[in-house]
Amino acid sequence: MIPQKPMGDFLAVALFLVAGLAFAVVPMIISRLIVKRGQGAQREATYESGMETIGSAWIQFTVAYYIYALIFLAFDVDVLYLFPVGTVYGEYAVRDLVEVIVFVGILSLAIVYAWRKGVFEWKRR
Amino acid sequence: MLNMLLWIAGFIILLVKLMIILGVLLFFAGYLVWVERKFLARLQIRYGPNRAGPYGLLQPLADIVKMLVKEDTVPDGADRAFFLIAPAVVAATAILMFSVVPFGKDLTLWGQKVPLVVTDLNIGLLFVFAMSSLGVYGVALGGWASNSKYGLLGGIRGAAQMISYELPLGLSLVPIVMMAHSFSMVKIVAAQQKYPFILFQPLAFMIFAISSMAESKRIPFDLPEAENELVAGYHTEYSGMRFGLFFLGEYVHIMVFGAIMSVLFLGGWRGPFLPPVVWLLIKILAVALFMIWVRGTLPRLRYDQLMALGWKVLIPLALINILATGAVGLMIN
Repeated sequence: MIPQKPMGDFLAVALFLVAGLAFAVVPMIISRLIVKRGQGAQREATYESGMETIGSAWIQFTVAYYIYALIFLAFDVDVLYLFPVGTVYGEYAVRDLVEVIVFVGILSLAIVYAWRKGVFEWKRR
Repeated sequence: MLNMLLWIAGFIILLVKLMIILGVLLFFAGYLVWVERKFLARLQIRYGPNRAGPYGLLQPLADIVKMLVKEDTVPDGADRAFFLIAPAVVAATAILMFSVVPFGKDLTLWGQKVPLVVTDLNIGLLFVFAMSSLGVYGVALGGWASNSKYGLLGGIRGAAQMISYELPLGLSLVPIVMMAHSFSMVKIVAAQQKYPFILFQPLAFMIFAISSMAESKRIPFDLPEAENELVAGYHTEYSGMRFGLFFLGEYVHIMVFGAIMSVLFLGGWRGPFLPPVVWLLIKILAVALFMIWVRGTLPRLRYDQLMALGWKVLIPLALINILATGAVGLMIN
């Protein structure tokens, strides 16, 4: 009997990763070997619609949606708990439904709260 | 000794499967570019590529050669390491997602069972999510590392958009897990033996389709690229093969989402008369054509509309759908 999963599941994933990275890296190497490199003062200037580049892009500015990232962080972790529940759902009949309703209900409070606080509005500054 | 030989045989089968899948995936991703350009051109009443070969069929080859011989520049002031890694992250994560997609019944070769999937992970669905979230890093890092204003704005938009649409994407699949009682893609296909899940879960299908379009940054959700305001968004500074990787990564992404959508909602490789692999390809192509059609039809959303659609419409709908599935599921049982 030929083992269908030599060394477990993740060997295949690792091999796939190697193949994927090879697919990404090999053309770059080929391209580096055959490309003729150009010369010129402004060749590597950052593109700004033909104007001379003004300053760096790494400055401080307001990321309007950073609060979303915080809600996402809280929310996504909880969503993950719903998945294992899904695999065994229906074993305890009504109790399951009640528990899911309670869980999802508390979870949606996060959205309701953010909504009421006006996080989802785009404010002009 | 015998065990050793058998192990090597298993390893070789794995390698062969991997090669075939990668080859087929990249071939179709390349030709999807041609399909998209042709179909989009027809939607806009023009011809599309028709110079390279009959019907422009050699266009993908010409594109690849062009990308290979174009110089690949790194802009002044960029963070070199991250700038070089970012496109590889996008391409590799897109390809990796395909490793859990089953494309046929178990095959019997010389009395041995060969499952037609690279690896049937018991957490297949979660693996797809993990990879799809990791793809954000390519966009955000690429945009940030270019040290270009357009790139940075594109990267930030990409990050905001992808975290917002990952939630409805995940929530829309909880009902699927509830129905299939498993994360394994093979078992999910097996659970659709009689009817594909789209019949039971049309709402989940719609939410999943919309969010996966947003995750692959297609029009109407292409704000991270938004040509007419951000030049090319997060890949403004990329050229040559590195741009090619972002570009091909997008098409691999479409293929992968097509495949996952078929596995989760359209019954995977199941279908009458034709061989399973052909059915899977037909379904993937149908999803891809749908995405191209949407691109030809809809205008781009505004940034705040995009976020509002995700948080105010899709997430509440997905939550309600979970509860409805739970209630109906109990009534049937």
